[in-house]
Amino acid sequence: MKRNKLFLTKGFIAIMLVAVLIIAGCSSGDENEESADGKTVVDIFQFKVEFKEQFEEIVKQYEEENPDVKIDVQTVGGGNDYAASLKSSFAAGNEPAIFNVGGPTEVEEYRDYLTDLSDTKAAEAALEGTLTGVMEDDKVLGLPYSQEGYGYIYNKEIFEQAGINPEELTTYEALEEAFATIDSQKEDLGLEAVMALPAKELWVMGNHLANTYIAPDFNNDIMEAYEASTIPFSKADELQRMLDLQNEYSVQPVLSLDYSQQVEQLFSTGKVAVIQQGNWIYPTVEQMDAEFAENNIGMIPIPVDGMEGQLPVGVPQYWVVNSQKGEEVQQAAKDFLDWLYTSDAGKDFVLDEFKFIPAYEGYDTERIADPLSQEVYRYSQEGDTIGWVFMASPVGWQEDTMAVNMQRYLSGDISWEEVIEQSAADWENARQ
Amino acid sequence: MKNRSLSFWLFMTPTLVALGLVVFVPFIYGFVYSFTDWNGLQANSFLGFENYIRLFQEEHFLNAIWFTIKFAVVSIVLVNVIGLGLALLVTQKLKTSNLFRTVFFMPNLIGGLILGFIWQFIFVSAFNSAGQLLGLEFLQGWLSDATTGFWGLVILNAWQYGGYIMIIYIAYLEAVPQELMEASEIDGANPFQRFWKVTFPLVAPAFTISMFLTLSNAFKMYDQNLALTGGGPFKSTEMIAMDIYNTAFSDYDMAFAQAKAVIFFILVAAVALTQVYYNKKREVDL
Repeated sequence: MKRNKLFLTKGFIAIMLVAVLIIAGCSSGDENEESADGKTVVDIFQFKVEFKEQFEEIVKQYEEENPDVKIDVQTVGGGNDYAASLKSSFAAGNEPAIFNVGGPTEVEEYRDYLTDLSDTKAAEAALEGTLTGVMEDDKVLGLPYSQEGYGYIYNKEIFEQAGINPEELTTYEALEEAFATIDSQKEDLGLEAVMALPAKELWVMGNHLANTYIAPDFNNDIMEAYEASTIPFSKADELQRMLDLQNEYSVQPVLSLDYSQQVEQLFSTGKVAVIQQGNWIYPTVEQMDAEFAENNIGMIPIPVDGMEGQLPVGVPQYWVVNSQKGEEVQQAAKDFLDWLYTSDAGKDFVLDEFKFIPAYEGYDTERIADPLSQEVYRYSQEGDTIGWVFMASPVGWQEDTMAVNMQRYLSGDISWEEVIEQSAADWENARQ
Repeated sequence: MKNRSLSFWLFMTPTLVALGLVVFVPFIYGFVYSFTDWNGLQANSFLGFENYIRLFQEEHFLNAIWFTIKFAVVSIVLVNVIGLGLALLVTQKLKTSNLFRTVFFMPNLIGGLILGFIWQFIFVSAFNSAGQLLGLEFLQGWLSDATTGFWGLVILNAWQYGGYIMIIYIAYLEAVPQELMEASEIDGANPFQRFWKVTFPLVAPAFTISMFLTLSNAFKMYDQNLALTGGGPFKSTEMIAMDIYNTAFSDYDMAFAQAKAVIFFILVAAVALTQVYYNKKREVDL
């Protein structure tokens, strides 16, 4: 028995030692800003899954050119998932040196962690208007990824067969007439319906569709929307009219229709003629049908009274540098972002590999990769744009309030007046 | 007892330390945070019971609780009926019963997310096509309203857990002594009476376990909910776990979510303990 006890005690101590070592091992380590071989370590936590591989490639190239810097990239899926993971990283004390914020609402959230980037070359080269969402007095707190735009993406061949000129669809009436024309020839054109409204996706309705009719309330100015304590909804009727139109001519039931059904199953295979989406769908359509993607799709703006021919263009996300990191890491992070957007090698990547619509000066825009992006760039160049103000609405408002209410309206649960009243009231409450 | 004390505690300590570090300490932290305005990055002030008062005024949360309770009740009944039914079926002397056991258990091996997406395809696309072919109105438009969303979740859950619960019932059914069955047969009991008067009381412990498992599982369900309906349309099929996650991570309201989680914990613990207490009373010993 004695022997046994001794053995047990020893074993017990050994186990506890191992446990202590493991715990100790976990808690140190992340304070290290230099790796073992003396390199400066820059952790990047970014949200764009679509260009993960290309991004890692350019990072490798940068590391080769700058042997004293080591860059670790972590990518987590778009939208809410990214925001949630970023928050957990911060809560766990595992803060990245470079991360992404979406606009003024998130800038406020992470204000204590944001470095002033106004001394970077990239900030200087940023196109006019792309920095408004991340400016604070004279400070530039973020650098834009790229530009994106959305509208009605249509199937050129079907429009041609139905005898419709997309250029003329600048008003609601013209659009309605065109939809009716296509609808009457549905069978001949091999269509399931004129369009696909993915009402299951809160962001398609709450962010994009609603934004088109909310932006004019704030003069298309993201900061004005951010500071507004109330939302006037002066174009509420137009928003209702457009939602009804999309619903009427959509594949049913809209409430269980999602993004992948809309883009992959219906639009890419020619079963619907029009969808409301942005230039980011291009890679997906290209994978489904490269020929169709290259030659047969175009984009037109969503008609808004008094703002005919204007396309909503905005910045999807901004890069920011963590101010709580050491001086050296901050500098290395800034250098990398500068190199990415202003060096020749970086520019080539941004255009050819990332397939971005550049948000910076000094790019050969002839080389913009796909027809949708070219279209968006054209509108942005000519200044025919509607602002993206949805990044400035109260936290969660556009999806959890606006889009959810729109869903309830579509299902007949509440009236349009209630949608507007409730959404306006929620905005006001959040801004008190 | 004295004899066992040292070695007993020696073996227990690592487990207790681990449990303490990953369960109790975070739990206490979370409890404390639920009284503050913590947003995930910092907590500025102590709010007292403000979060708790607020959550009982929030319509979403109360709806989520109600939806979860409805779902749990229907699921518990359905999963246990199916589980016991399947168990009775595969304990018959059939050649194929081993094959059936495997087949029925299989859905449980598929992860909740994948399962959700598979059933989403079935409800949305397959049901739709079948409905069009057969001209059946009710097969169309599944998951696009609150009612079909609810039944979609119930069906998915029953399909996944029926086979798992079956395994538990099989174990108890096979432990029912043959002598008792024979005796009752000789006494002239018909098959129904034999099941109801002999088998059923003897598998009562299996009910305790199965009901506890289905209950806690139904209350805590998240992944199937996310993959199948995502809480939509208009949050009508959002269960408590998902509501808590969304409050924490899409509204950045961490402390408020933590308060909801505490209430959720109390609710589940109360329901589960009551259930086990009453089920235990019904069990009979041989």
